[in-house]
Amino acid sequence: MRSSANSKRYLYIGSALLAIVAVFFIIGLIWTPYGINSTDSASKFIAPCAEHLFGTDNLGRDVFSRCLAAARYTLLVSFAGVAVALVIGTITGLLAGYYGGIIDKVIMVLSNSIMCFPGILLALVAVAIFGPSLYNVIWALGLVFAPTFARVYRSSTIELLGRDYILSAKVMKVNPVRIMFVHILPNLMPQILPAVIIGLANMTLFESGMSYLGLGVQPPAASYGKMLADAQSYMVTAPWLIFFPTLMLVCYILGLYFVSEWVRTSVNGGSK
Amino acid sequence: MRYKGNILEVNDLCLSLSNADGAPVKILNNLKFNVRSGEILGLIGDSGSGKTMTALAVSGLLSDFAHVDSGEIIFEGEDLVKKTPKERRLLLGEKIGVIFQDPSSALDPLQTVESNLSEIISIRDGDKSKGHERILNMLKTVGFDDPKQIAKRYPHRLSGGQRQRVLIAGAALMNPSLLIADEPTSSLDTVTSMSIMQLLHEMCQEMGISILFISHNLNTVRNFCDRVMVMKEGTIIDADTSWDIMGQPKSAFTAELLMKSKLDPHALGITRGEARENAASVLTAKSICAGYKYAGFTNDKMNHVVNNVDFDILEGECVGLIGSSGCGKTTLVKSILGLIKPSSGIIEMNGRIAAVFQDPVSSLNPAHTVRWHLAEALRASGRKMTREEQKPYFLKILEDVGLEGKHLNRFPHQMSGGQRQKAAIAMCLVQEPAVIIADEPFSALDASSQASVIKLLSDINANRGTTMLIVSHNLLVIKAMCSKVLVMDKGRIVESGNTDEVLENPKAEATHALLKAGKYAV
Amino acid sequence: MGNEVRTVFSKICEFVLTALLVSFFTFAAFSIIPGDTARVMLGPDASEAQVQQLRTELGLDRPLAERYGTWLRDAFRGDLGNSLSFGTPVSELISSRLAVTLGMSFIALIIVILVSFPMAAFCSRNPGNITDKTLSTAGHILFAIPPFALSMMLILIFSKVFHIFTAGRYTAPGDNFGAYVVSLLLPSLCIALPKIAMTFKFLRASMIEYSHSDFVRTAKSHGLTDLRIMLRHIIPNSAVSSITVISLVLSDILGGSLIVEQVFNLPGLGRLLLAAISRRDFPLLSGIVLYLAIITVILYFLADIFAAVIDPRIRDRRAA
Repeated sequence: MRSSANSKRYLYIGSALLAIVAVFFIIGLIWTPYGINSTDSASKFIAPCAEHLFGTDNLGRDVFSRCLAAARYTLLVSFAGVAVALVIGTITGLLAGYYGGIIDKVIMVLSNSIMCFPGILLALVAVAIFGPSLYNVIWALGLVFAPTFARVYRSSTIELLGRDYILSAKVMKVNPVRIMFVHILPNLMPQILPAVIIGLANMTLFESGMSYLGLGVQPPAASYGKMLADAQSYMVTAPWLIFFPTLMLVCYILGLYFVSEWVRTSVNGGSK
Repeated sequence: MRYKGNILEVNDLCLSLSNADGAPVKILNNLKFNVRSGEILGLIGDSGSGKTMTALAVSGLLSDFAHVDSGEIIFEGEDLVKKTPKERRLLLGEKIGVIFQDPSSALDPLQTVESNLSEIISIRDGDKSKGHERILNMLKTVGFDDPKQIAKRYPHRLSGGQRQRVLIAGAALMNPSLLIADEPTSSLDTVTSMSIMQLLHEMCQEMGISILFISHNLNTVRNFCDRVMVMKEGTIIDADTSWDIMGQPKSAFTAELLMKSKLDPHALGITRGEARENAASVLTAKSICAGYKYAGFTNDKMNHVVNNVDFDILEGECVGLIGSSGCGKTTLVKSILGLIKPSSGIIEMNGRIAAVFQDPVSSLNPAHTVRWHLAEALRASGRKMTREEQKPYFLKILEDVGLEGKHLNRFPHQMSGGQRQKAAIAMCLVQEPAVIIADEPFSALDASSQASVIKLLSDINANRGTTMLIVSHNLLVIKAMCSKVLVMDKGRIVESGNTDEVLENPKAEATHALLKAGKYAV
Repeated sequence: MGNEVRTVFSKICEFVLTALLVSFFTFAAFSIIPGDTARVMLGPDASEAQVQQLRTELGLDRPLAERYGTWLRDAFRGDLGNSLSFGTPVSELISSRLAVTLGMSFIALIIVILVSFPMAAFCSRNPGNITDKTLSTAGHILFAIPPFALSMMLILIFSKVFHIFTAGRYTAPGDNFGAYVVSLLLPSLCIALPKIAMTFKFLRASMIEYSHSDFVRTAKSHGLTDLRIMLRHIIPNSAVSSITVISLVLSDILGGSLIVEQVFNLPGLGRLLLAAISRRDFPLLSGIVLYLAIITVILYFLADIFAAVIDPRIRDRRAA
C-alpha cells in the first residue's frame, strides 16, 4: 500500500533523528571539547563559529559541550522513568484486566485518581517534597506514567480474555499467573511497543519542563531544560542559546514519534 | 407504476481494482446478466468471485480504488455508467435500495431508529409529519408489532434480526424498484435468517420490488429465488431457474458447490458414537442455573441464561447440543468447562475435560508455536516427560490429527484455519481427556476442512473411545455424528433423546423451528 | 428513564469518591514527608522550640486520621490554612491567581477544539493527499517541541519581530475583559498548539475509520450527500470517541499552563506553585495541588456527563 511506503519513510527519518541523539549521547559520555562548566569571561555570547560550534552562553560556557553532556540525562530519565512505569503498569494492568471485579475497581479508581492530578504537577510536588534529585525525578515521573500503561495493559487484556486460546488455557487449569505472563503478555506487544515509545517522548517533555522550572536534574549536571531557562533572558541577543537545546529535544522526541508511527502501522498491517 | 421488462441489464461489464502498487487487477470480466421485473435473482459464488463488487457497481457505492473499464449497467432503460455521481446518488434509496451483510453496526449508534430512517425522506422532501407516518408504516410492514416503540429505540437495544429489519425498512422506504441484498442473512442465526428471507419474499410479492440476492451458499437460495446465477472469477458461469440448477447443474463448478453443501456421512466414513454397554456416566449435570451478574445499586442481579438444566452423558457417547442462537448453549458449555461459575446445581465429572472452540483464528495463541501449545497441554495434564520423550510423542499426536511433523515448529499464523483447528484438537489429545467438548468447531471453516475436522472428531470418538459433546447449529453434522441429541431453548433443555427420534419426530416447538430453518440454510 | 437517572447518580458517586481520594492523596503526600515535617520546613538552623511550636500549629502531634478529618472539613469550608511565606490565607492567594490559569486553559481548549475538528474533517476526506501530509507532519513537529521552548520562539517572533505583543503584560479581567483575553491569547496558543496536534491526529484517524464504517455505508446507500454524512454521522461519532482524549488534553492543558505562564511571566498558579516549592510552604502547596486536582476531577466529570448525553450506549451501560 501507499501507506506502507509512507510509514517506511517515518522509520527512516525517525531513525536518522534518533541516530543524531545517540551520537551526541555516546560522544558526550567519552569526550567534550570544553569542560561543561568551565566558565570563561573572555568568551561570553560568542555566536556559533568553528571554535564553538553551538556558540557560548552568558558565562562563556561552550553550548556544544553542554549539549553533548546533557543527552545522557535526557536518555537516562526517559528510559529509567518508562521502565519504572512499565513495571508498575504491567503488573497492575494485567491483574485488573485478568481478574476484573473488585481488584479491577480498586486499581482503576487509584489510577483514575492519579490521572486527576495534571501529570507535571504530581511530579513537581513529589520532587518538592523529596528534594530535586535524579532518582526522585525518575520515580516521580514513573509513577505519573504508570496509570497510562496500566490502562493499555488492562484494556488489551480484557480484549484477549475472550479469545479461544485463553479460554482453553483456563479449561486446562493453567495457573493464572502463568496465563497472565506467558499466555497473555507476549500478545500485548503490539499495543505496548508504541505506548513505550510515546512514553519515552512524553517523559522527555516532562523532564525538560521540570528542568526548565529548576526542579529536574540539578547543576552542575547540564540539562536541556535548564539551559533553556538560563537562556531565556538573552534570547533576543543570543537566540542560538535557545535554538540548539530545543533542536536536540525536538530531534529526540520527533524521532521517537516517527518510529512509533512506523511501529503502529507496521504492527497493525502485519496482523491483517 | 413499475417499469416493465428488465429492471436491470448488465452488459459486458469489466471492472478493475487498483492493488497495493496501484496496478489494476481485473475483478469483473465481461459480466452479463439481467434482473426481470418482480423476480428474485440469486447470485452465488465463493468469496473473491466478485459478487460483492457486482452489488457495489450496480448501486454506485464503489470505492475510489475500483474503476469500471467498459460495459453498461442499464437500470430502467438508462445507462448508470454514464450518469454523474450526483444523479447516481439520487437514485440510491429512491429507486435502488441496498442491504448489507452485517447489521450489527450498520445503523448510527447515536441516533434513534426513526432519525436513522427519517433522513432518507428529509433529504428528498421536507414534510416531516408525513415522513413519520411513512416510517411507522414501513416498520410495521417489515414485521414490527409495535413500530412506535421501535422508532424511539437506539440501535444497541435491537437484536441482530431486528436491526436487519430496520435496514430493510430503510432500503424499502421510498418504494424502490430494485433491492440489492448482499448476504443479508449470513451473520444471523438460522431461525432469524429464515424469517428475514420470508420478509424479503413477501416484499417482492406484495410491493413488486425486484431483488438481487447475493449469497455464498447454494442451499440458501434454493427455496427462495426464482432464478440463480453462479459466479466464478468475475463471470457468470451458470444461470438457470433455481429448480434446474439444483437438479442438473451445467458446469462442474456448480456441481462441486452442490456437493459441498451436502454432507454425506457414508462418503466420509463416519459412524455415530454410541455408548458402550454398561457404560458409566462421564459427565452429569444436575439442575444447573447459570448466567451473568451485573451490578445493581442495592444488590447484584442475576440474569439467568441457563435454567435448571439436567443431562447425563455416558462413556463413549457422542452427544449433540442444538438450539438457536441466544438459547444459552454457550453459557451452558462455559459453566461445564468451569469458565463461569453456575449459580446453582452440580456438575459431576469422571476424568479430565478438554475443549475445542469455534474460531480457528483465535484457537491458538499467536505468540507461540504448536510445540509450545502441546507442551503446555502436557504440563497442564500433570504428566512429566523429558524433552527427548516429548518429541516423538508430539509427532505421533500430530500424525493422529492429520498434521505433519513440520507443523510442530509453526506459528498459528503460518497455518490454515483447518490446520489450526486440528492443532487445537491435538492439544486436547495430549491431555488424554475423558470428554471433549466441541463448541461449533466447524462453523467457521471452509467446506473441505469442515469435512476433515468432522471425520477427525468422529475417529477420535470411535478409536479412542473419548466421549464427545458437540455443539452445532448444523443439523446434518449432528445427525451424522451423534447418537443422542439435546435441544435447548430459552435456557432449558426442551427435548432430548435418540437423534433419529428427536429429529424425525420432533415434539418441542423449538425443534420444529430449527428443522424448518435447517432446510433453508444448512 | 430509570437507567439514565441511575447512570447520572453512579457518575456522581464516582465523582465524589474520586474527589475524596484525590483530597486524601494530597493530604497524605504532605504527611509522609521523610523526617520531621516541621524540621524540614524550617530548615536545619531552627531551634527545637521553634520546631515544636510549628508542629503544634500544624497539628502534627495529632493522629493522621484526625488531622485528615479536620483538614477536609476546613477545606470544604474553603479554609486551607495560612500560607507560611505570605502569611495570608491560602484560599485567597489561590483565588487571586485562578483567573490567569483557568482563563488560559479555557482559551486553549477552545482553540484546540475549534482548530482540530475542522482540520481533521478536512484531512480525513482525502487521507494521503498533499494537504493531509503537510498538516500531519506539521502536527508531529508541533507535538515534539516542548511548550516552554515553543513559547520562547513565539515570544521572539511576536514581540521582537512583529512588535505586537509584550511578554509579561497582564490585565486583570475585572479591569478590562477584552484586554485580559488578548493578554492571554499568545500563551494560550502555546499551550494549545501541541494539543491541537494530538487531538487532530486522534480525530483524523477516528474520522477515517468511521468513514469506512457500516453505518456510513448505509447512509450512502440512502442517498445522503458526503457533507451531510460528515456532519450528521462522522463528526458526532468521532466526538464521542474523542472525549477520553480531550479530557486527557484538558488535564495536560492545566499542567502545561503552569509552565507556560512562567515563560510569559504571568501571575498565575504556576508561579505561586514555584514560590511555594522554593519556600517550602507546604500549606500553600497542598492548597494549590488540591485546587488543580479538584478542577480536573470536575472537568472529567463534565466530560463523562457530556458523553452520556450524546451517546445512548453509555446511558444504558448499566442495564446491558
